[in-house]
Amino acid sequence: MNLSGIVVVARPERLTAVLRELDALPGIEVHQVDEATGRIIVVQEALDILEEIEGLKRIKALPHVVVAEMVYHYIADDRQVYADLPAELVEQDSQACAVPACLND
Amino acid sequence: MGLSRRDFLKTSIAASTAATVGMPLSKQAEAAIKEAEKGWQWDKAVCRFCGVGCGIMVATKDGQIVATKGDPDAPVNRGLNCIKGYFNGKIQSGKDRLTQPLMRMKDGKFDKKGQFVPVTWEQAFDEMERQLRKTYAEKGPSGIACLGSGQWTVQEGYAMNKLFKAGFRSNNIDPNARNCMASAVAAFYSVFGADEPAGNYDDIEYADTMILWGSNMAEMHPILWSRITNRRLGHKDCRVINITTFRNMSSDIADLEIIIKPNADLAIQNYIAREIIARDAVNWDFVNKHCVFATGPYDIGYGMRPTDKYAFPAERDTQAKELKVKLDKYEAVAQRRQEGEVVEQKNTADPARHWLIGFDDFKRAVEPYTLDFVAELAKGDPDESLESFKAKLKQLADHYIDPKRKVLSFWTMGFNQHQRGTWVNEQVYMNHLLLGKYAQPGNGAFSLTGQPSACGTAREVGTFSHRLPADRLIPNPKHRAEVEKAWHLPAKTLNPKIGSFYAKILRDLEDGSVKWVWVQVNNPWQSHPNNNHWLKAAREMDNFIVVSDAYPTVSAKVADLILPAAMIFEKWGAYGNAERRIQHWRQQVDPPGEARADIWQVLEFSKRFKLKDFWGEQSVPGLKAEGFPDGKLPSVLDEAVKMGYSPDASLYEVLFATSENKKYKWPDPIAKGHDNHVVRLLGDGWFPEKALWQEYVQFGRGKGKDLADFDVYHGDKVRGMKWPVVGGKEVPWRFNEQYDPYVKKGAGFEFYGDLFKTIPKGDLDKVTDPTPVSVAGKAKIFYRPYAAPVEQPDDRYDLWLCTGRVLEHWHTGTMTRRVPELHRAVPAAVLWMHPEDARARGLKRNDLVWVESRRGKVQVRIETGGRNKMVRGYVYVPFFDEGVLINRVTLDATCPISKESDFKKCAVKVYKA
Repeated sequence: MNLSGIVVVARPERLTAVLRELDALPGIEVHQVDEATGRIIVVQEALDILEEIEGLKRIKALPHVVVAEMVYHYIADDRQVYADLPAELVEQDSQACAVPACLND
Repeated sequence: MGLSRRDFLKTSIAASTAATVGMPLSKQAEAAIKEAEKGWQWDKAVCRFCGVGCGIMVATKDGQIVATKGDPDAPVNRGLNCIKGYFNGKIQSGKDRLTQPLMRMKDGKFDKKGQFVPVTWEQAFDEMERQLRKTYAEKGPSGIACLGSGQWTVQEGYAMNKLFKAGFRSNNIDPNARNCMASAVAAFYSVFGADEPAGNYDDIEYADTMILWGSNMAEMHPILWSRITNRRLGHKDCRVINITTFRNMSSDIADLEIIIKPNADLAIQNYIAREIIARDAVNWDFVNKHCVFATGPYDIGYGMRPTDKYAFPAERDTQAKELKVKLDKYEAVAQRRQEGEVVEQKNTADPARHWLIGFDDFKRAVEPYTLDFVAELAKGDPDESLESFKAKLKQLADHYIDPKRKVLSFWTMGFNQHQRGTWVNEQVYMNHLLLGKYAQPGNGAFSLTGQPSACGTAREVGTFSHRLPADRLIPNPKHRAEVEKAWHLPAKTLNPKIGSFYAKILRDLEDGSVKWVWVQVNNPWQSHPNNNHWLKAAREMDNFIVVSDAYPTVSAKVADLILPAAMIFEKWGAYGNAERRIQHWRQQVDPPGEARADIWQVLEFSKRFKLKDFWGEQSVPGLKAEGFPDGKLPSVLDEAVKMGYSPDASLYEVLFATSENKKYKWPDPIAKGHDNHVVRLLGDGWFPEKALWQEYVQFGRGKGKDLADFDVYHGDKVRGMKWPVVGGKEVPWRFNEQYDPYVKKGAGFEFYGDLFKTIPKGDLDKVTDPTPVSVAGKAKIFYRPYAAPVEQPDDRYDLWLCTGRVLEHWHTGTMTRRVPELHRAVPAAVLWMHPEDARARGLKRNDLVWVESRRGKVQVRIETGGRNKMVRGYVYVPFFDEGVLINRVTLDATCPISKESDFKKCAVKVYKA
């Protein structure tokens, strides 16, 4: 599970529309809204962080969204994903720090 | 995890996020945070990545980092983080983290051809010491070197600099910041006589027009970009101009996008200067009071080797231009010569020399840069009409010249990594100074840095082969004497000969003149251009390469000894960002296994050597300096004995654990419960990060570079401070009387930097009166001509290649590729190409291709869409991916003045693999 806190800034006059769009996005919950400044606090839940980044990109792409940036990142539960290393970095697992194949061509 | 716990967590994360950006919280929300974060310790810290210097908060529990968030009180980022910043807490947890020293061994002994075997720190240092002694006996101070970093903490850089220059008496220490910021520095020196920008990030909120020159801020400095975006959207008249060689993410919000040819920036800036004069818009009051005009030689080469002895056969034609250049038609006009004229490069040895000229000379020099001439030379997109391009150049000039607009120019690697990087930096000041739009809120020219402490460590500490702390220079006898006094060294301990710069150290390894090198916090065998040479030098020459790193980088794998390093939150440290802001942090967690901080590595290694090992007479080929015998450093041991040192004293005692420094004891209440593994391992009770900071600050005080005391930066309310800190107060705009107490009362402005402030007089071509004239307090407006790139596409290599970063990865991917989320977001480097260029070669998106230059080739997949939109004839490959070592292809030409490599232009061909 991946949880992140995101601050979204919408053009204040379009706040209602942006809130409606946010509600329709998967994994997004709107938690707090400041009407005067157009700031919206959302929490995103996603299966993995690839999905989470995609989710952030979707928010950024919404019309009338001026800023969308992650602010808070909860780390505790996703340590197991470290099993995935880039392929050419995995080769050294079997042989401590061998000169990588990419240097031998 | 139960549903209720998850909902609870979400409430708390929302509340924390709101608090971070300063939105009011309900009592309930506050309670949720309190409950969810029970047992967590939050502490302020700084981001590990780019030069923006965002504040982040780090939460630890039971010796682990459990959460990070943007620091709401940090004036730089105001609570926001970019995607890399977001994962700061994870970079230390990669699966392949190095946790013990590894050495190449055969039959139980070090062997250059052996396999890596785990060894103890004792064994590692034993071999390192043996090898250093062997090389030093053979080659003296010039035979050893250190490749350092703008990612060293201030204290780490300071310690290594002192060990090399004062201990080993070698100036062969140079940071990778050479390849990042050296051109900016060279221009700060030549124009203002002092390093680093006048303004600060708050300029953004005052500016009317912001102009990006070779800086894709949207991807490379995203949080600063969010401030620009806010200004653009919140201030009706604000405009953003993006000057670039291809359409990138920064164009999304730009009002004007100007796509130019490589090196055309030199011509465009002269066009603007010409317009300023033609429209009678020179701010004469400012220029007469605060500026002079200057120029220098044009025939300065391209920073390549002067010989083809080491060149691959295919690269000999490019290398030959280091000696002689045939002028093309644009250079001929721009330099007032004939097309086809062959110009011998006579000023490669002293390319930085310059002299005063008059305004009439200056005016005559920029006269050829008419709109017609510059537009034809500069237009970068073959599919754009000349008329449309001309209109854009005119608008650009309008923005600079409009007296009602405050103008802020930004640049990064497009200017700095440039065969005329120093010139193009000087030119941007030329226009700001002509208009008097400098060193005032919203009016400025702002060099952005790439690395978190390129300014704080590399530049301010002076970890370059020609620098000493606080803008002091190696060849200057007065500066050396000041440093010798401060470090309690006998006179003439410091070596007066400038050491090898970064590229030269690699060349020295190739030709065998350097045989022992220590690499910390950087990855030269992935990041340095024309890499096939250096890879071969590392593995095939007789030398000993030590790499301190947290992960097995390409450089670690071609080294002989790998030392496992601690990472940012595993040690105490300080970084200095692009706006002169120094920020400190505490150790948050312990490093894993036997990984240890670089500063411990330096201090511990220094214990193995005695003064008599280095302070006797040493041979330094080529040394020529007043007061020194040619080719020799004198023995200073007798003088040392008079000063109370024993020749048998260790470098550790004399340079680091001095009686003065040992007064800073551990434990110290400033730690607030945080540990310090360096103190624990040294075991002699002092606090090196604090002691060395306090020793370091003496260099800048009273010299316009004043830093505060260690404890001030660790204050709960302090979020870094911009130097100079005078009377406890930061200086937001330097050189401006209103803000800077260093400026003489009544002067208005004063460019008080004192470097290169006495120069001869001349005309556009030469010195006419060698008597030096003082230009104290003034800035120099340089005339610098257009010069063509040394290598350009031709029939065989028909495309331009540019390299750089992507948002998700930091430099060579050492850290960010270990964060699976970032790896998955951008798993491999691609080659961005225009769809028509692909079609013409029978290629389509995602095809595997070879990209090949005179120097080497690599395989990569092609991308014809996505975030970067290439123009025809131009391709881009990022350098983060160790599977796509694009620097085997790039050219190692540098700006001859700054010695910074040009990663942005060389000629390649692309064909199906």
